[in-house]
Amino acid sequence: MASVTSTTTSAHRPRFSFWRLVLYAICIILAILFLFPIVWTAISSVKPPAEASAAPPTFLPSRIDFGNYVKLNDYGRGVWNYVGNSVGTAIMTVIGSTILSTLAGYGFSRFRFPAKNLMFVLILMTLMIPFQSILIPLFLILTGLKLQNTLFGLALVYITFQLPFGVFIMRNSFDTVPREIEEAALLDGCTPFTMLYRVMLNIVRPGIITVGIYAFLNSWNEFLAALIFMTKETSFTLPILLTSVRSGYYGAIDWGALQAGLMVTILPCIIIFLLLQRYYVVGLTGGATKG
Amino acid sequence: MSVVNSGMKARRTESTGGAIGQRSIGLLFVLPAVLFTVVFFLIPLVMTVFMSLNDWPLLGQHEFIGLENYANLVNDRQFWNSLWFTTRYTLLVTPMIFILAFGLALLVNLPLHGVGIFRTIYFLPVVIGLGTSSLLWVWLLHDRVGAIDAILLGLGLIDRPIVWLADPNFAMLAIIMSVVWKTVGFTMILLLTGMQAIPLELYEAARVDGASYIGRLRYITMPLLRRTFALALILSVIGSYLGFDQFFIMTAGGPQNSTISVVYWIYKNSFTNFKLGYGASMSIVLLVVLVILSVIQLRLLRDETSY
Amino acid sequence: MKRISKFVVVLLALLAISVAPLAAQDGVTLTMWSRDSNQDFLRELVDMWNSTHPNQIELTIIPAADFVTRVGVASAGGEAPDLLPIDLIYVPAFARAGNLAEIGDFIDSLPYADQLSPSHVHLGEYDGGRYAVPFAAEGSVLLYNKGLFEQAGLDPEAPPTTWQEIYDAAVAITALGDDTYGYYFSGACAGCNAFTYLPLIWASGGDVLSEDGLSATVDSPEVRAALEFYQRMWAEGLIPPSAQADTGTDFLNAFLTGKIGMAGSGAFSISVLKNDHPEIDFGLTFLPGQEGGSSSFAGGDSIAITSSSQYVAESFEFIQWVLSEEIQLEMFAARGQLPLRADLIDNEYSQQDPRLITNAEAMNLGKTPYSFVYNQLFNDANGPWLSMIQTAIFQGDIDGAVAIAQQGFTDILASE
Repeated sequence: MASVTSTTTSAHRPRFSFWRLVLYAICIILAILFLFPIVWTAISSVKPPAEASAAPPTFLPSRIDFGNYVKLNDYGRGVWNYVGNSVGTAIMTVIGSTILSTLAGYGFSRFRFPAKNLMFVLILMTLMIPFQSILIPLFLILTGLKLQNTLFGLALVYITFQLPFGVFIMRNSFDTVPREIEEAALLDGCTPFTMLYRVMLNIVRPGIITVGIYAFLNSWNEFLAALIFMTKETSFTLPILLTSVRSGYYGAIDWGALQAGLMVTILPCIIIFLLLQRYYVVGLTGGATKG
Repeated sequence: MSVVNSGMKARRTESTGGAIGQRSIGLLFVLPAVLFTVVFFLIPLVMTVFMSLNDWPLLGQHEFIGLENYANLVNDRQFWNSLWFTTRYTLLVTPMIFILAFGLALLVNLPLHGVGIFRTIYFLPVVIGLGTSSLLWVWLLHDRVGAIDAILLGLGLIDRPIVWLADPNFAMLAIIMSVVWKTVGFTMILLLTGMQAIPLELYEAARVDGASYIGRLRYITMPLLRRTFALALILSVIGSYLGFDQFFIMTAGGPQNSTISVVYWIYKNSFTNFKLGYGASMSIVLLVVLVILSVIQLRLLRDETSY
Repeated sequence: MKRISKFVVVLLALLAISVAPLAAQDGVTLTMWSRDSNQDFLRELVDMWNSTHPNQIELTIIPAADFVTRVGVASAGGEAPDLLPIDLIYVPAFARAGNLAEIGDFIDSLPYADQLSPSHVHLGEYDGGRYAVPFAAEGSVLLYNKGLFEQAGLDPEAPPTTWQEIYDAAVAITALGDDTYGYYFSGACAGCNAFTYLPLIWASGGDVLSEDGLSATVDSPEVRAALEFYQRMWAEGLIPPSAQADTGTDFLNAFLTGKIGMAGSGAFSISVLKNDHPEIDFGLTFLPGQEGGSSSFAGGDSIAITSSSQYVAESFEFIQWVLSEEIQLEMFAARGQLPLRADLIDNEYSQQDPRLITNAEAMNLGKTPYSFVYNQLFNDANGPWLSMIQTAIFQGDIDGAVAIAQQGFTDILASE
């Protein structure tokens, strides 16, 4: 027990110890549990189609076979149609969410103005409504703006639902920036805009990246709005393809194609996260620990 | 030096608006975000309120009926059942996520070699969408082609497949399992960042005073984490109350209607039974419930700043 | 002067309306939405139309589970497509809501109007108007594995004709062991059981709805007997345990494993079995009643034109083309789809496989409940129909199940 306690505070303790071994064992067992579903999907997706839906399941593929991906591509308009739309929507959502959240975060953090708290609460309230219940009004509004059936319109809706998280994170990120930096910049004759652009942006970059990652993930994975607001098949996104695979041919689900579809959906999220994760935790810290 | 600093701070705070420009400039910065929220949230919300005062079929003409939907709601057993079910689900899933996340955060806060890799691994499922992960678990939990039953059978832990999503004894458990897997990493990271912000000197001092690991957890880590706890709690409670994908995809409210969440029930009423107005009235009630719950939790959060 | 010009405009408009059926325009783009079951066939059909006609159709396939939601939201926003193939059971509700165009005159112009599938025609009627014609036909039948019949010492050419015979065959086949089961049904799938379980009740002379579809008759002896029949097979292990969880994903998949003796199914299974599982020797027979007789659920899609469409005549040209003899034979029959016209059921393709004729006959003797709340009653995964089946069969509480379902049906019917 003693060595466990000491590890929390002392930086390094290279010597071998029984407790250290136990901790590693726990870490590894947990890692296996957490990774298993993802790895299992990856393995199964490259099994020959017959093996991918074998009952009971086989463990390793008898050979690597991309038949499931070929079958996935047979659904609807082909997988690239959906990937392209998802990427396009996600890019618009990321750009819009980061810009709006950064501006608003700066405003809420550094300025006083009428109805400030009311507006902040209003933005946070967006979190509390089930999206399903404003589906029809949203559709009517998009139709009114002539944005129904456009990925741009879809992205606008996504951006709105990213704002509670984004503004919260960015406000806290700006809060942690020492005031002294601004004081110095002010003396150099910075206006609020140039200050934000030249000085602050660099400092709150982790926050911006965190907001961007979140915007990407949510836009990439969203299903209901993507289905309801888009009329043309050519503008459907990846989750709709996945649902199509799941409903199958008269209910006869193609497990292999489903595994391939899951992989195509999951992999970009994992890659993006792995590339940017070092910013992610810092960005979240700005949001969570300022006290 | 510190005296100078605090002096500057005090001066700046009192003149925030004037120091950088007119007060309305702040408004300019938040305006785009507020505009989006008004157009794509506030106006739809007002329209939903209006819909809730109508007999509004999904197909066809609507008719104003005042508060009748709300009156019907009072006697709708299924609505209250699903609200109660969702509350139970929240009460079950939230502590599970918290306890597990807290343990994981403690674990990955240890100075072990390669601990960063474990941190990443535990967080990885968070990047998958809830709908996608629900689909993934439908497959994993399938009694013929799924891996879980195959493994349990192989280990000899069960002698016939468990039909997870159709067995009233297991359906809820299976859903919770998948949701915990998918979301626990997020709470873990929140808590971890909170833990890392606690000054090391506090621990050192406590150690000098002879406090045990548990003691330090109890008297330093936990109290200082309360603000983070409150934040994670609000997010988790709201997320659980709005739970839809996992029920829609994994069980469709079954078996024997034992997993009907409120939002699923709203969706059913609006789009299966075509009663949009009625669904809207449920949404408004749910919104009120969530606002109340959040205000209570925000109180918790606010009290914390005085610590 | 003004008044006269107004008069002329109205007159012209009236004239335009009255000649509309004849004067379809060329070069317009029509939109069509469909649920995703059988999407490959539909795509092929639309491609063929597009390559041979000046008017083009833009087809959008929507996941079946969300189809009605999608259409409903679009209608609310005035964005509905021109052509709408929908599950025929939805037609009454859609027609009543005013979402569909009345096309009685168009239908009368078809020389083979009286040959159209009677169930589809019946469900296309509302308040004296006619709103839809058949687009895809499906009749439920009993699918059985001839190989397993043979192994179990049963005559593969003499499929069961009563419940007792189904039961006896199921016992014999389950006795083969090695995870073989006599019977299968999707225990958590509401729609599947409306399709394959209701006919067992109908064939015995019972029903769950009264003739006019306005009151519930769930507490009739035939319903009870049907529940007892399934409950007995379940309790005796003649049905695989996985049936309880099946929300429809294994509706056909289970039979495709070759380890299921009998299962209710439809015409769609014939082509899947023939193309993907040539190793399974299967037969088709009618779904029987308790003491004999037979019935079927006449399902499938009807196609309608939305009331918001500006191209009713143009849209109907497509419908007419689909129902033409050429398309019915060379597209439908040639690809194992049931023809939508009685006069075409016996054709060169069906003669090659008598199982198709059995299926078409099943469809023609079949029925379909006419109800504005069909979805709530039968299709809803949380509705009274599935709940009754699950409570009765898996928990063995038949009396409780019937009582609750009778109440549930009555409540839903009364809420209309």
